[in-house]
Amino acid sequence: MTEPLIALQHVGKLFGDGLVRALSDVSFDVRPGEFISLVGPSGCGKTTLLRIINGLITPEEGSVTVMGRKPEPGPDLAMVFQSARLLPWRTVSGNIEFALALRGHDKAERRQRALALLGAVGLRDFADAFPHQLSGGMQQRVGLARALAVEPKVLLMDEPFAALDAMTREVLRRELLQMWARRRMAIVFVTHDIDEAVYLSQRIVLLRPRPGRIDEVVDVDLPEQRWEDDPRATPAFAALRNHLWDRIHAMARDGEALEELAGAFPIESIEKPER
Amino acid sequence: MSEETVRAAPGTVSVAELEARGRKRRQREGTLVLGAQILLGLGLIASMYVLNATSGKLFMPRPDDVLAQSIKLWSDGTMLKALGESLTVLVFGFLLSAVTGSLGGAILGGFRPVSRVLDPYVNALNSTPGAAFIPLIIVWFGLYTEAKVVLVWNAAFFPILINTASGIANADRELVEMGRAFGARRTTLFWNVMLPDALPSILSGLRIGAAISTVGTVIAELTMAQSGLGGLLAQAGNRFQMDKYFAVVIVLMALGTAITAGLRFAERRIGAWRVTT
Repeated sequence: MTEPLIALQHVGKLFGDGLVRALSDVSFDVRPGEFISLVGPSGCGKTTLLRIINGLITPEEGSVTVMGRKPEPGPDLAMVFQSARLLPWRTVSGNIEFALALRGHDKAERRQRALALLGAVGLRDFADAFPHQLSGGMQQRVGLARALAVEPKVLLMDEPFAALDAMTREVLRRELLQMWARRRMAIVFVTHDIDEAVYLSQRIVLLRPRPGRIDEVVDVDLPEQRWEDDPRATPAFAALRNHLWDRIHAMARDGEALEELAGAFPIESIEKPER
Repeated sequence: MSEETVRAAPGTVSVAELEARGRKRRQREGTLVLGAQILLGLGLIASMYVLNATSGKLFMPRPDDVLAQSIKLWSDGTMLKALGESLTVLVFGFLLSAVTGSLGGAILGGFRPVSRVLDPYVNALNSTPGAAFIPLIIVWFGLYTEAKVVLVWNAAFFPILINTASGIANADRELVEMGRAFGARRTTLFWNVMLPDALPSILSGLRIGAAISTVGTVIAELTMAQSGLGGLLAQAGNRFQMDKYFAVVIVLMALGTAITAGLRFAERRIGAWRVTT
């Protein structure tokens, strides 16, 4: 068994001086080159987990290591956000060069690499355009190119396609799969779209909300190169998605029961952490 | 059949014709606006004549007298000298406030503890009418150019400071987080994300500051040693030479307009990335 690239052990995160518990006892590993999805209803701490892995915030409980070290923002980890988050005053190529400059590449090299990456996402002709001149899908492609530019060991993606229209989303999913097949970095992909998670990933971490904790880790045993042989019509795919939906419906039922309880008793009595 | 499809269907209009229509409409609108503006200007001049005829030249000078005075003041160098004096005060005062205001604003906006400590003081000083400081400035700096520059600085400093500080403090959080996620340190974030994001706000602070600088210059020249355009204004006013007075007012009007227009132009040039083309 290979050494895990990212290891989370009993991670817990509290917000608001400990009043709100966002995560509780989350443990899972990410292997090198693995495509793993974090899935769950809103409020289950998916994005918080991603930010913890990136080192933007530190958990109060448990431990996180990325390549054996405490995570810190930097070139080994690159993030793709839900909105492209491009610097509007920089050109498309300038935005990628910004990330490269943070990695310490010299000026001439930056431009060259930026152009090469824009070629890879099909936006070479737009290198000198400003972000506002691009469509949402194109902006998201630039965001992806920026993340790839730093050649990360881990690509963190926070619902990167959620704000796009269905057609663009589909195109970008396939491009992501092809890109991952070529480069084979680890990808931690946050989404609330079950089909998307099953279609893209090798493993799915299903989270439950309030507080965010692991419900189940599901292996996705579908053949690779899924952009060629779309697995979404296969019985195996249907079985996986039905299973995940069953779990989510179960969560919703628990949630309803919890809400009834919350109406009957003061909040403090039910939100005490179980020890 | 294929030949038919090339030709426009009956009832449709060619692009060229639509363009021509649009151009015509815009031209017509432009002429209308310009015509209305000229008419309004002529109306103002006419009403000056009427007021002059009914209430005398002390109440309102005749426009042609104003023109004659303007020509005289410009040709004998009086106006040019006054303008030079005023511009010296204005430019030095404004530059001083631009430099100190934007630096101070960057510190206030970039370091939260500093702004938390200084906030009440900044607010108190900003809320005090600028004129309240005139006696103090006279005692400290005298009556001449230095004192006037200080007065202009004092007037323009706060709008620049506050706009810069709020622009930087309110820099887009998502972009700042993006920079952090890619490993940017504080200084890099400041120069490459927060400052550019605040630039539009800083520039409007500078524009407001420049407009206030013109006001401050005239007030300084009226209340301290009389000089420049403000001094000329006071001279003419005190002697009831309303034609001369109006000649100076026109120059002040043009000066203020030119400064604001210039800065607005700079704003648009620098903020070009925001304009959708």
